[in-house]
Amino acid sequence: MLVLAVTVGVLTAAGVWLLQQRSMVRAIFGLTLISHAVNLLLLTTGVPGWRVEPLMSTAQAADAADPLPQAFVLTAIVISMATTIFMLALAVIGRDDDQEKVPETGEEHA
Amino acid sequence: MTELMTPGSLLALFVAVPLLCAGLSVILRQRVVDRILLVGVPVLAIAGAVALMLFHREVPVLASAIGAYEGGIAIPLVSDTLTALMLATTGLATAASGWFLTLTGEARLRFVPALALLLMTGVNGALLTGDLFNLFVFVEVMLLPSYALIAVTGTWRRLGLGRMFVIVNLVTSLILLMGVGLVYGSAGAVNLAALAGRAAEDPQVALAVTVVLLALAIKAGVVPVHGWLPRAYPGTSAGIMALFSALHTKVALYAIFRIYFTTFEPGSPSGAAGAAMASTVAVVIAVVVLATMVVGAIGSLGEQRFRGVLAFQMVAGVGHILIGVAVTSPAAVAAGLFYLVHHVVTMASLLTTVGAVEHTYGTGVLGRISGVMHRDRLAAVLVALGLLSLAGLPPTSGLWGKLGLGLAVAEAGETGPAGAWQTPVFLGAIVVSSVVTLVALQRLWGSSFAGAPLHRYWPAAPEGGRAKAQTLEGEVRIPLRLLAPGTMMMGVSIVLFLFAGLLMPFIDTATAGLFETGPYIEAVLP
Repeated sequence: MLVLAVTVGVLTAAGVWLLQQRSMVRAIFGLTLISHAVNLLLLTTGVPGWRVEPLMSTAQAADAADPLPQAFVLTAIVISMATTIFMLALAVIGRDDDQEKVPETGEEHA
Repeated sequence: MTELMTPGSLLALFVAVPLLCAGLSVILRQRVVDRILLVGVPVLAIAGAVALMLFHREVPVLASAIGAYEGGIAIPLVSDTLTALMLATTGLATAASGWFLTLTGEARLRFVPALALLLMTGVNGALLTGDLFNLFVFVEVMLLPSYALIAVTGTWRRLGLGRMFVIVNLVTSLILLMGVGLVYGSAGAVNLAALAGRAAEDPQVALAVTVVLLALAIKAGVVPVHGWLPRAYPGTSAGIMALFSALHTKVALYAIFRIYFTTFEPGSPSGAAGAAMASTVAVVIAVVVLATMVVGAIGSLGEQRFRGVLAFQMVAGVGHILIGVAVTSPAAVAAGLFYLVHHVVTMASLLTTVGAVEHTYGTGVLGRISGVMHRDRLAAVLVALGLLSLAGLPPTSGLWGKLGLGLAVAEAGETGPAGAWQTPVFLGAIVVSSVVTLVALQRLWGSSFAGAPLHRYWPAAPEGGRAKAQTLEGEVRIPLRLLAPGTMMMGVSIVLFLFAGLLMPFIDTATAGLFETGPYIEAVLP
């Protein structure tokens, strides 16, 4: 069980470090790592050991895994995938990653 | 087997109608339809919410289990007077912002009406849900269109700011998710009704709930995690900022009220095990709330743009609203909730009016614009009333907001976490915040609305954005129709000043609902 806790810690630490970089792409990777850490954390809130699939027809309630954290993780993965794609699009729009130069938009900078 | 059609199942319409209309707007892509939807759907929501408020006079809590699963397993949509009040308030501000967006022509930009309606879907869902994980999902539904909206409109600053906004909000969402996971791990449930009072009993649950509250505090813009708000919001356009200011922070505030009062039950005496943890949390909340009020006011002194000042004023407002959570007496909660309604209304009025000034003259920088008072009387009157309202002066709702808070703090005496210091400290913070606010707003007024007549402006360029500065001709005025949403919202504020008694029964019922969690639990877990 310690393995999971350490993994969550390492992933979060690495994610935070990447998030502090100026480059957008690194920040995105950082966020992905943190979201993996959170997903693992969510999984550990059920029973972390291996258990039978929680299907009413094939498994006894006593042997089955807790389906709720799995549903949480599934939802969280879908949402983080959508936001990752959006952020990658943002990274492509502004080529100049460090924001020192203002991107050209054809507007007068009032 | 529960019955499929109950009055409660109508609650899902608050989520379903904006969602379907957003889809409709994308498919049809007719400007007229877009306009009707952008203003009509929020108006429908207001009507529904007002009906709900009246309905709650007989039935205090209305719950509906989605999918007709048993209570405790299903995701519940729950509404009580507080929820209905929030639905009505956010609906009103959304309608005003949507109206303003159609007037400035921003609603013509691709997908803006659809995105605004999706944002509304998320807001209504987050207000109605009685499940913490579902709250996270609806907050995400609310944020995804916001990311796009912030990138579609506004000045060139939006590109860099959009990134900051996305990253801050994503990290916050992950913290929220982490908190929800920890709550499930420690309490074995994420249903708010099942969690009632658990944090006061069990320090582990209390810690987990605190993580959730931290995430919501970031989203609400509470000091010291407010930094993103005054930077991100002024970078968008005024209409979008009005939309965001009425929705994002206020939903987070509602969730803080709901979750804190349900799980910690600060009104009732707690068990010995959780008492130490609960009182530590209460002290932290008190310190943070005091800091928010004062820092927000001081921050608005240093801003160079209209909407920068207003963004810091939003932070200060968040502090005032949260006095209800810090001083947990019924009077303080009622005053905080009234302040919330007042703040949403005033901010919507100010932001759309200031947005009209910016839209016409092309700049919102304090030094570049001056003497608007001499050109546009109505705009000047509206802004003056709005500023008086923020400072807490008549003839606006601000007076009752600040007065209510002051009286509630004075009455609460020594019951709160700060003991004997509570009343002087909180009263002092309210006074300091108000005085500093007055100075900051005086600076805004003096530099841009009073002062030398305006002689140059930045007209809208035909290809979008702004053209070079031009000498101002006599006939350039703010079109009156641009001021209509601001006038409407200021009218609401003045009505709240004159007839505050009409709203107070609802606010008192909402407050009672926060303290008496019994009916809420009974409705959700029959």
